[in-house]
Amino acid sequence: MLLTRATPPPASRLTWALALVIVALQLAFSAGLLWVNFRTEDIPGRRVAEVLAAESPTPGYSALRADAFTPTAIPREECCATNAIIYRTRLTAADASTRYPAVLIVSAHDNALIYVDGELVGGLGRANGPAPVMSRRPQLVRIPSVLAHDNATLDIVVQRAVGFGHLRPFHIGDYDRLYPSYLMLRLLRADLPFVNAVIGAFVAAFCFCAAPLFGARALLFSLGGLAAAWAGQHVGLMLTEPPWGANANNGVYLVSFLATLVCTAWFFVEWTSVFGRARPKRHPLLAFALDPWDWRERRWLALASAAVMIVGAALIAWRLSFDPMIGAQDVNRIVGRFGLLVMTFCLVRIIAFYMRTGFREPIEASAFTFVILAAIADIAMVQFLGTYGVFLGAAVTFFPLALLLSLAVRARGVFEAATTTAEKLNLLVAEREREILDNIEDARRHERAAMLLEERGRIMRDMHDGIGGQLLGLILQARSRKLSDDALVGGLEQSLDDLRLMVDSLEQGEGSLTGALGAFRARIEPRCEAAHVELEWAIEDVGDTPHIGPDKTLQIYRILLEACTNALKHSSAKRISVSLRRVGETRIEIALSDDGQGFDAQARTNGRGLANMRTRANRIGAAFEVQASAQGSRVLLTLDA
Amino acid sequence: MSHANPRARVAIVEDDAILREELARVVDGADGLEIAGLAETLGAGRALLASDPDVLLIDLALPDGNGVDLIRQARAENAGIKIIVVSIFGDGRSVVRAIEAGADGYLLKGADPREAEAAIRSVLDGGAPISPTVASHILARMRERGAGARTELDAPLTEKEVAILSDLAKGFRYKEVARLHGISPHTVADHVKSIYRKLAVNSRSEAVFEAVQAGLIRLKD
Repeated sequence: MLLTRATPPPASRLTWALALVIVALQLAFSAGLLWVNFRTEDIPGRRVAEVLAAESPTPGYSALRADAFTPTAIPREECCATNAIIYRTRLTAADASTRYPAVLIVSAHDNALIYVDGELVGGLGRANGPAPVMSRRPQLVRIPSVLAHDNATLDIVVQRAVGFGHLRPFHIGDYDRLYPSYLMLRLLRADLPFVNAVIGAFVAAFCFCAAPLFGARALLFSLGGLAAAWAGQHVGLMLTEPPWGANANNGVYLVSFLATLVCTAWFFVEWTSVFGRARPKRHPLLAFALDPWDWRERRWLALASAAVMIVGAALIAWRLSFDPMIGAQDVNRIVGRFGLLVMTFCLVRIIAFYMRTGFREPIEASAFTFVILAAIADIAMVQFLGTYGVFLGAAVTFFPLALLLSLAVRARGVFEAATTTAEKLNLLVAEREREILDNIEDARRHERAAMLLEERGRIMRDMHDGIGGQLLGLILQARSRKLSDDALVGGLEQSLDDLRLMVDSLEQGEGSLTGALGAFRARIEPRCEAAHVELEWAIEDVGDTPHIGPDKTLQIYRILLEACTNALKHSSAKRISVSLRRVGETRIEIALSDDGQGFDAQARTNGRGLANMRTRANRIGAAFEVQASAQGSRVLLTLDA
Repeated sequence: MSHANPRARVAIVEDDAILREELARVVDGADGLEIAGLAETLGAGRALLASDPDVLLIDLALPDGNGVDLIRQARAENAGIKIIVVSIFGDGRSVVRAIEAGADGYLLKGADPREAEAAIRSVLDGGAPISPTVASHILARMRERGAGARTELDAPLTEKEVAILSDLAKGFRYKEVARLHGISPHTVADHVKSIYRKLAVNSRSEAVFEAVQAGLIRLKD
């Protein structure tokens, strides 16, 4: 969903404001850390920078003669092939007379054990054996009052591992006065890295979980790997007594460091390729450094990243296996130099990327740029200035925030685009719907008009064939005075009957044939009564008969009327029976039977009537059947209802 | 009423002169019936109502309006009046509309004098003439009202009434229906009268409902 290639809208003022807020936070945080870092010189108490130093022949503390010590100023770059260095100073009368004399170790890569007059009073590290970890924690250690006296020997034993084995100037003074400084240092050296580790772990978990949900799996895997490696570095840095031993701890840190760098490069290539727009081909080296990589190249990159991490981890393990302390220092230096290269590459890419896209995502742009600059600055501080980096911690602390905001901005763009599209679609659908409804309405109107026209035509035909002819005949006969009054009345009554038949057929409409036949009874019963023939009415309710409209009803009427006339005239029947019943799911049967002498005898006179009935039956698609015997005859009509 | 006045007074509202005279002749010739007045138009028919006739024979298609209005007025003014619609076809639509307005029965125009007299007497005796066409029309009307289901019918037909009505719609006579249901022909007639009454009630309440819907009438809360 985030892979929309559409040009994002220019950054809103809100986006710019948020970007500025984040940069300001990062700068403020960095400045704060920097201040804390350098303020250590102003810590209350006596700052000790000029000391005596001697190398210990063992990894731990050993009581050396005074002439083994040479004066030195700390911090000093101390490399390489040594086990532990003993830094020595002496307490003054003022130091000893404070209420609770204490030593504040600002930083000791990697450990610091504190001995007063040869007695261990505290600190981190192992009294006897190799350095357990490189600990960045500041230490505030009280000197027991029995040992605190003027001119007492204060030895600080620094064991070496990953770091430089250097001790920064430390402070001697009253415990309570040193305590605030200790807290600040702890925030800088221990608490913030812990927070970063947790952030890294969460980001990694999110990325790995979310990878299948987004379109850009490699992008999220690279970010997840980066976050996991970042968390791994801090795990390596923070554990003071890891269950797997100091060497493994160093290994975790160094492998994580390498993985962080590899994943950083991978991530930035992914990001600038996934969200970047393709460019015309140019020199391969330029394209490699500046332009989006296509998916094939990125797949190679993913594989290469994994390979570099695996091979790097193996090399690190191999190096540490035969010389943990010195090896860790060497590896750290090499990886640091590699890191500078990687970060420079990323910086160039990301700047090229934002130059190309016109800084439409200021939050993202500033966060990325800041984090890369911070990494470069930190590596430089550590590798070349021998001090702690402060910028990356601040950058990383706010990096997830920037990333989330940036994703939110992108998502908002996508949602807005989706909403706009949906609205357009809705409008389109509504318009089409209206058109269709109009068309349907038109079609209905036409259909209705056509039906009415057809119905009108049918009624006119019926009138023409039936009542029109009858009336015309009556008029002609009456004019030529060939007509008796009775015949005239009879003829007129017949015409009216025919008209009523039509009205009855029309009235039923698309209702039920049951009702239509019910109405028909009144048409034939008077005739039967006049002829003294009993009419048996056996109509079943056949339910709705939607396929039998007025036209079919009228034809059925006429067929039945004809059949009834035949029966009354020619069969000398005593009884006529009309029945209606359903004979299947969709078929009904109408029958008119009599108990007369059957048809055969009058076949000749009946011929026209039968043909008429058959024609009408055919016209309405009904099966027509006549059964005749000596016991009577039966006219059968079967049709779809 | 027939006790107070041994001869039932019949008012005739019919615009066709020949048919009007024919009906007048029938009434004149019948024992126990006398003419209360003749009218050609709705207006004249209205004036005729003032004479408080016992029977009203009325055509629906009048030159100055529809007879249904006069039926409604007559029923409103005189609950005991017997109203018979005179129709040329006895078609369901017009007869049922008349019944809804309060008519008691119908008479086919051009029926022979004996039939006409019998029909008038039957209505006077409390009979309720019904044709299969009218019966099936009523059934269809009830069905479509039930299906519309905008409101419950105020006076829905009972199962028995529906069964009787559908048998009548099939063309069965009162006697045959009575035999089919194991009741007397009188009871069938009572059922039909009840059906007519309900038809009129439902028609009135539907009119009120529609008027309320249209905002013509405001009911108090």
